[in-house]
Amino acid sequence: MVKLTIDGQAVEAREGQSVLHAALDGGIYIPHLCDHPDLEAKGGCRLCSVTVNGGQIPVPACTTIVEEGMVVDSRSESAEAVRRTSMELMLATHPADCTGCPKYGKCELQSIYQYMGVNGQDWRQKSRPVPTDEKNPLISHLFTRCIRCGRCIRACQDKRGVKVLEYIRDSSGVHAGVPEGKSLADAGCRFCGACIEVCPTGSIMDAVGIMGKHQSYADDVVPCRAECPAHIDIPAYIRAVREGRPGDAHAIIREKVPFPLVLGHICNHLCETGCKRTELNDPMGIRNLKRFAVEHDTEQAWKSKGFQKPRTDKRVAVIGSGPCGLTAAYYLNKLGHDVTVLEKRPQLGGPMTSGIPGYRLPLEGVMEEIRYIIDSGVKYEVNREVDNAAALRADYDAVLVAVGVSKGRKLPLPGAELPQVHTAMDVLADSRAEADLSCLGQTVCVIGAGSVGYDVARSLVRSGMTVNLACIEQADKILADKDDQEEGAQEGVNLFPGRSFEEIEAADGKVTGLRVHTVLSSTYDRATGKVTEVAEEGSQMVIPCDSVVFATGQHTGLQDYADFGIELNSRGYPVMDGFKTSEDGIFAAGDAITGISFVIKAIQQGREVTAEIDRYLGGDGQIDEALVERAANPYIGQAEGFAALPRVEQELRDASERTADNMDVYHTYTCEQAQCESSRCLQCDLRLQFQRVKLWNEYGGDNG
Amino acid sequence: MKKMEADVIVVAAGLSGMAAACAAGEAGAKTLVFEKANTTGGAANMAMGPLGVGSRIQRESMVSITPGEAFRKHMFFTHYKVDARLVRDYYFKSGDTIDWLERMGVEFAGVQRAFSAPEATRPYSDGEFTWHVVKPEGGGIPGPRAATAMMKKMTEYAMEQGVEFCLETPVKKLIKEDGAVVGVIAVDAQGDEIEARAPSVIIATGGFGANPEMIKEYCGFEYGKTINNFAVPGMVGDGLKMAWEVGAAKTPIIMEIMYQLPDNLNHFYIEGAFRQPCLWVNRNGQRFMPEDQIGNTTFTGNALAAQPGKIGFAIFDARLLKRYKKKGPDIVSHVHPHDLYDHFEEQWERDLAAGYEPICQADTIEELAEKAGIDVEGLKAQVEEYNEMCEAGYDEVFEKERHYMEPIAKAPFYCCRQTVGAYGSLGGIKINHKMEVLDEEAHVIPGLYAVGTDACSIYGDTYPFTLPGNTMGFCVNSGRIAGENAAAKVAEF
Repeated sequence: MVKLTIDGQAVEAREGQSVLHAALDGGIYIPHLCDHPDLEAKGGCRLCSVTVNGGQIPVPACTTIVEEGMVVDSRSESAEAVRRTSMELMLATHPADCTGCPKYGKCELQSIYQYMGVNGQDWRQKSRPVPTDEKNPLISHLFTRCIRCGRCIRACQDKRGVKVLEYIRDSSGVHAGVPEGKSLADAGCRFCGACIEVCPTGSIMDAVGIMGKHQSYADDVVPCRAECPAHIDIPAYIRAVREGRPGDAHAIIREKVPFPLVLGHICNHLCETGCKRTELNDPMGIRNLKRFAVEHDTEQAWKSKGFQKPRTDKRVAVIGSGPCGLTAAYYLNKLGHDVTVLEKRPQLGGPMTSGIPGYRLPLEGVMEEIRYIIDSGVKYEVNREVDNAAALRADYDAVLVAVGVSKGRKLPLPGAELPQVHTAMDVLADSRAEADLSCLGQTVCVIGAGSVGYDVARSLVRSGMTVNLACIEQADKILADKDDQEEGAQEGVNLFPGRSFEEIEAADGKVTGLRVHTVLSSTYDRATGKVTEVAEEGSQMVIPCDSVVFATGQHTGLQDYADFGIELNSRGYPVMDGFKTSEDGIFAAGDAITGISFVIKAIQQGREVTAEIDRYLGGDGQIDEALVERAANPYIGQAEGFAALPRVEQELRDASERTADNMDVYHTYTCEQAQCESSRCLQCDLRLQFQRVKLWNEYGGDNG
Repeated sequence: MKKMEADVIVVAAGLSGMAAACAAGEAGAKTLVFEKANTTGGAANMAMGPLGVGSRIQRESMVSITPGEAFRKHMFFTHYKVDARLVRDYYFKSGDTIDWLERMGVEFAGVQRAFSAPEATRPYSDGEFTWHVVKPEGGGIPGPRAATAMMKKMTEYAMEQGVEFCLETPVKKLIKEDGAVVGVIAVDAQGDEIEARAPSVIIATGGFGANPEMIKEYCGFEYGKTINNFAVPGMVGDGLKMAWEVGAAKTPIIMEIMYQLPDNLNHFYIEGAFRQPCLWVNRNGQRFMPEDQIGNTTFTGNALAAQPGKIGFAIFDARLLKRYKKKGPDIVSHVHPHDLYDHFEEQWERDLAAGYEPICQADTIEELAEKAGIDVEGLKAQVEEYNEMCEAGYDEVFEKERHYMEPIAKAPFYCCRQTVGAYGSLGGIKINHKMEVLDEEAHVIPGLYAVGTDACSIYGDTYPFTLPGNTMGFCVNSGRIAGENAAAKVAEF
């Protein structure tokens, strides 16, 4: 340690430390602007001027290295004079009026001139207008406000190695910018946002509309992670894939979810909706990279990590073994509780094993992830239907209702009661179990073209049937995602959009067709459940078929029990207070309280309800775990044509080939494809590595 | 959820919130301040100084106006349409508040009326010497941002009084129990919620200058179209909404009007260059005020708002531009750069090429009118009449000062559309003279105070520039009074 005196105060500093940082670490504030704790000091702004050992000539504290016995005075007359002049010169060219600036209130320059009490009127004002450039994606340049501190340039050149920003000299003077008036994309920018993060003024900012959508700054900066319901550390696992560490990537995903492979196949990837690369071209293929990582993890090193708390004497029953129930069971067991999963079907997994078709989600993959949960100590009973949750309280300290929405709903059409009329839930379960489907006949009408409707239609096509898929929505308003629609059409699903259903026709008690008419428009009133339609005259027709399958919604089925033991609302959903039901010790989560949703949402519900149940049982509800240490290299270097790198799609198997089996319709990424795709990531999370610059008002009161 | 407790909670740390915090803190109340930004001071960091009447500085400068006189002048200006008791308490506190600020270490450069200008065109000529302009630390010429030195002293003083600051931690809502406000819910920088409880909560969030929807709904202007106001980020009406949510009565809200070009920071030379007593007309081509008054930004803003489409146009010709370049501007503003016309042509050419919307140039009056969207015949007739009056040397219509009667005759002609601007919004939450918030029945909502521009509805329809420093004056005094009252309530327990 080096001992020195700064402004009359004894300070201990590290060998080689700058006087400025010795002072700041010692709680002594010296104004500084071009210095940033993560960037090399340049001594350019002169705000940190000090005199040393009684000398008269001020030196920048940021480039002066501490010496034993040194006496530093930041308030000497000559140091103050330099500092003041420097600030006045900065303000003389900075726009006089800050009130329209979006950085107002979060601006370092503002904080420093507030501290110094300088207002910049002693020099002739010289406005140096540089046109605002808002044409670049993600990053706005407003260099009229630039004070030439060079922090963005050092961040871009030295810290990132991207080398896009430089000092620009033109008729309006000197400011930071991109040489030759190039766009950021053309100059090779990697849109990491380091320049935004270190800019002390409003010169480089996130483009309008990028920030402010989330609860916290970090969430705004890394929207993929924020948008993921489970907040999986997406940039970190993409980095691991790129660096050839699929095992680490798998572990990072495992930190938040026990079903990485399932999600790698069928997640609705809200993360991709948030991905900032969308502003450049297309979002990252995050889901596909997840699948790649899981399938290429040969070491499974994560299995030996993670927490396992000592056993408690508490018993928990989980009703239902879908993604929510099994996630809760997994974590409750890790927390030391004795968990038993009760499943009414012959097989664990809920929709993962009895709903989602094999061409989207291979059964063996799901079973492997379920087996890991069971092997970790979760008990289970299959073919065990619970008709009263409250009764379980006699044997269990807590009960979780995670029954999902497994009961299909039929529309009240004439003929809906015929034996050849089924619900999607039942057909999908039979199809997945490879049961006999001959009762459906050769031609099937599926009503409803949401993702479940397509699951049924595409499954039945694979069983060799002719499938007519009809829905009330117009062709451009169909609820299923685009991939489903396109691939379904390729596979031969006949679509009848914009149809209203009149009657299921029958002869001799057997279905012969579905009578429909065309609607020009329709509106659905969520509140009343009423559909209003404008019918096309004379458009009535009969779609011939041997059977009809309703894919028109699902419900919990709880109201079918005489008394399930907890209060239900009129639609059969538990009456909830957060995750608590009307009965003490009985909790509910997942689709059973949210209505039909996606697997990732159900998993997050499982995590959240776990914390709640654990606290109820006397625990702390803590289930976070780190399975891999993070080390991200901030020096990302240059990459030619980075902005335009195209999104890599998984290879889609040929339609005839894929309908001949029930295997996954996509090939997983090759190693090369995964490398390409992961290299597209903007690595938004690197921005958060930068330390925040502490402002004067955080040094605790007047120190001068 | 993190829990905090205090005697007084202040929502936002602009001038009014800082005054409340200083006053509550020095009275011994445990005070907690929540602020969205990472800096204290809010909009005051860009301002110059507050009003005071009866301060030591005024007495020593032989400024004789008394609080009572200021009160009468204010009520006359507002036609007695505002709360006289509130106005009275404000002015009678204001002199002592300046002394109070001085005791904190704030230095004032002196006391001023609004900006100086040649006598004949002095835009605020009937103004009083009430504006206490803050002296920059270490001396120097005061200008915009001067008050930042005051905000630093107030922040330091508050810290010495043990006031705790939660920066980057916006308050999201008030907690009301059994009819009384008992705390707030805030969200810190990590996105975590904080429940903070206190028997008194003081709202000081500075209005809704950055919220176009509220500007439209409450003041009828369209941001970016009929108004180009200061939009200090974060001033989005949080305080008003949370107060209304717990039952506070609404007051009429005005924008604190002036005038300003769109994106003016990037067109600063243009804006300054046209703020001259040349020819000003409305969309029909007709003059609407004596142009020697355009230095009064309040009245000019009002006048523009009263024209068709809420716009006006400033026009000069090649000869006038040459004169400005040679002799300097007729009106020197305190905001725009001194070297306006040295760089005018450079920026003019660039902005014309870039299609900057408010400006145009033409070689004939017809063409100019067409390009600018002014009625062609109307402008031709007006220019003709105006030039004749210039020839005669006398403005028969508005009696504009004679030496500004310069004809618009030599091509090219330059035109710049002028739009209303504003410093922000004023008013919204109904309060009494103790700064307590009232409900629709004029009953006090226990535990809730509102101060500063969130509650400043004492101006009627127009900022009272005759008593300059008034916005900051109301902020600092309403904040101080609320802070004192809130702290006194704790002492009673």
